[in-house]
Amino acid sequence: MTARIGPVKANPYLWPYDGSVPVANTALICVDWQTDFCGKGGYVDSMGYDIELTRAGLPATARLLDHVRGLGMLVIHTREGHDPDLSDLPPNKRWRSAQIGAEIGSDGPCGRILIKGEPGWEIVPEVAPVAGEVIVDKPGKGAFYATNLDLVLRTHGITHLILTGITTDVCVHTTMREANDRGYECLILSDCTGATDPSNHTAALHMVTMQGGVFGCVATSDDVIAATEV
Amino acid sequence: MPSVDALPHPFTFDPAETALLVIDMQRDFLLPGGFGESLGNDVSQLSRTIEPLSALLAAWRSYGLPVIHTREGHLPDLSDCPPAKLRKGGIGEQGAFGRILVRGEYGHDIVDELAPLEDEVVIDKPGKGAFYATELSEVIEKLGAKKLVVTGVTTEVCVHTTVREANDRGFDCLVLSDCVGSYFPEFQRVGLEMIAAQGAIFGWVADSPTLIAALQEQK
Repeated sequence: MTARIGPVKANPYLWPYDGSVPVANTALICVDWQTDFCGKGGYVDSMGYDIELTRAGLPATARLLDHVRGLGMLVIHTREGHDPDLSDLPPNKRWRSAQIGAEIGSDGPCGRILIKGEPGWEIVPEVAPVAGEVIVDKPGKGAFYATNLDLVLRTHGITHLILTGITTDVCVHTTMREANDRGYECLILSDCTGATDPSNHTAALHMVTMQGGVFGCVATSDDVIAATEV
Repeated sequence: MPSVDALPHPFTFDPAETALLVIDMQRDFLLPGGFGESLGNDVSQLSRTIEPLSALLAAWRSYGLPVIHTREGHLPDLSDCPPAKLRKGGIGEQGAFGRILVRGEYGHDIVDELAPLEDEVVIDKPGKGAFYATELSEVIEKLGAKKLVVTGVTTEVCVHTTVREANDRGFDCLVLSDCVGSYFPEFQRVGLEMIAAQGAIFGWVADSPTLIAALQEQK
């Protein structure tokens, strides 16, 4: 018997829309759990934000990772970052990061900010990828633009996505919107995400649930674990 | 070069390299009796954008600058509508203005006040974002545009998704607060805040009179 997920007690409907989904057609997406976004001395820390807010979802995400790895679910990690020569960094993105005092590509306490291969760009140990998991490197906020994510998902027969990561209102939301337009049935987990501004975290989750679930549904990791049928 | 007083800092642009994007100002979303209202939404929250947007369109066109309109909708056989979206109801069903969000139907088209001129591009999109599964990137490239002035509805759904897509593609976006609308005042406020947060993480926010004044000063 193949394991299935669902129905998950979610908001605004029992997720997924089609009742339940085989684990084999579901992927867990872990968005940008990088030192630059939730570690001491990283990009977000350098901009002066409180990293406890972006770290808040780490324990629940680590626990959920254990659970889905046991089920054999596909796990995909994403990393935002740029090539060392900055050839994939739009000039306006660079300029804006400089305006806010943490220029992408400049030296910080964790190496060059948001540059591939630097310590700050690595995924934090609590939710680090294990062998066999897919890692998608992305130059933007969305994980679909200028990446192979859609191809990886379709190749694996994935139709449903469960989203964790940071930050809720920026990279997770952009990725969820892209996925939704591409027809993936999405679930975002409130306890496995976080934002630099708690009110943006709340508002971003609320936006998902409006109009019958315009981008999908919101639940917690416990709801997902409870809705797993092995 | 015109500079617009904007959040979080001034937005400077070369009009020759800037296009005006008007997102989903469709009858289905805006008119009383239409799909939007049938879902229990207050359409006046959206229709208040028509007047400032008309004025902006007139000014923008008077300088001969490019305008791109978008419409959300699906093919009559709904073959481009993902099952999860279809399941939520409405789309393809008979509404007050024809089949809801179906291309070619009266309700799917843009409101009279903002009707596209013959030489203006209209992008039909199956999703919330205007870049996915459309020719928008090619159109922008052909126009030589590097920056976008973004207007339309709704703020936190189609406007936000499109601005996020544009931002990842390297386009600077100026979002006009009086020319974008949400059915929900709270999302209008927080949607605009999110755009300008963290040093313009997705773009800039100003209002249309400020932009029009900057254009006139330039002249």
